[in-house]
Amino acid sequence: MGVVTDILFIALATAVINNLVLINFVGICPFLGVSRRIDTAFGMGCAVTFVITIAGSATWIISHFALVPGSALVNAINSIAAGSVKDLLFLQYIIFIFVIAGMVQLVEMYVRKFAPALYKALGVFLPLITTNCAILFACLTIAKSPELTDNFLFALVYSFFGGIGFTLAIVLMAGIREELETADIPEPLKGPGITLITAGLMALAFMGFKGMAG
Amino acid sequence: MTNSALPGAAKRFRNGLLDDNPIYRQLLGMCPTLAVTATLAGAVTMAGATAFVMIMASAVVALLRNQLKGHLRILVFTLTIATFVTIIDRVLQAYVFEMSLRLGSYIPLIIVNCIIICRCEVCASQQSVGVAISDAVGQSVGFLIGLISIAVIREILATGMIFESVRVMPEWWPNWAVMQGPAGAFITLGLLMGLVNWMSMRKK
Repeated sequence: MGVVTDILFIALATAVINNLVLINFVGICPFLGVSRRIDTAFGMGCAVTFVITIAGSATWIISHFALVPGSALVNAINSIAAGSVKDLLFLQYIIFIFVIAGMVQLVEMYVRKFAPALYKALGVFLPLITTNCAILFACLTIAKSPELTDNFLFALVYSFFGGIGFTLAIVLMAGIREELETADIPEPLKGPGITLITAGLMALAFMGFKGMAG
Repeated sequence: MTNSALPGAAKRFRNGLLDDNPIYRQLLGMCPTLAVTATLAGAVTMAGATAFVMIMASAVVALLRNQLKGHLRILVFTLTIATFVTIIDRVLQAYVFEMSLRLGSYIPLIIVNCIIICRCEVCASQQSVGVAISDAVGQSVGFLIGLISIAVIREILATGMIFESVRVMPEWWPNWAVMQGPAGAFITLGLLMGLVNWMSMRKK
């Protein structure tokens, strides 16, 4: 297979077949919290896509040059200190979360300056992207699966389309919830209850994609 | 700097169980709640790991609370939590390797579990170590109760068994494979949440 086919394959597999929200259960908090209106949901999706792409690439570069066995930093430590350090993977979680927090801070500053309306609409959920599991999950998946760890381009495509998949799910959800506002829902199920059941039905629909690409 | 307006240790503990239950009342920590409740054993392991991290992080944050200033505190919380998650991840890999494989990425995802950061912010960064630990224990037990309630329903309906070995349902029970998957997780939690709301409405 050529590189283009590989990329299309990864894009489809990430955005639809292994959708972050509906199949992997990550990023549920904003999925439930910011899905009341389509435009806000879309703004949130874009912000997450942006952060996930940058964070995915940044953590790939850091792992590649500093953490994995045989990387530049590990070799340097071994030659300077004449030690036998195998890898620095025990620092992985701490470094990843640090990078993500920094990226979110940057995005927050950017959105506040250039899109004040979106900044207001996203409210507290913007800083909360740091604790959006979708982003850490994507970074960890890239670090874990061999075909993504070896190729920077694939890692980039994976993280970008992970974000697209998140946007797809949250916008679809917002569309359904806008319609649900006029529906006659039993009192106890109002709010999170019916949203979760709707998400369940969406997950059922997304299960239909399973096996589509082997 | 004890603030008399804040609830004491016993109250904090009790709140975590029901009134402020992290899953049903605060809607926090949804990702692990949905992802690891396919089997009861996974749910219990996850609750244990989360409890360890929450208790240790709350204690450390409570000890540091007078030094924490402004917006840097969230970063301190996160790094504290990440340290303890690294510890528990290594422990699980060493002693229950199969379970650690099965939980996979969801163990490191404890770092971004909103419950822990929320407890650090609400309780541990303002009250003494004793209160913070009691609060963390209460929230952990509340989280455990929530996870078990979902996992029991999902595992029984999906396999007819509990703990993967004890048969609960009769032999003719058709296994609802969908309950093991994402759809079953969302729908079970949605219905349980409706049930909890209905019960608390009736009490009033």
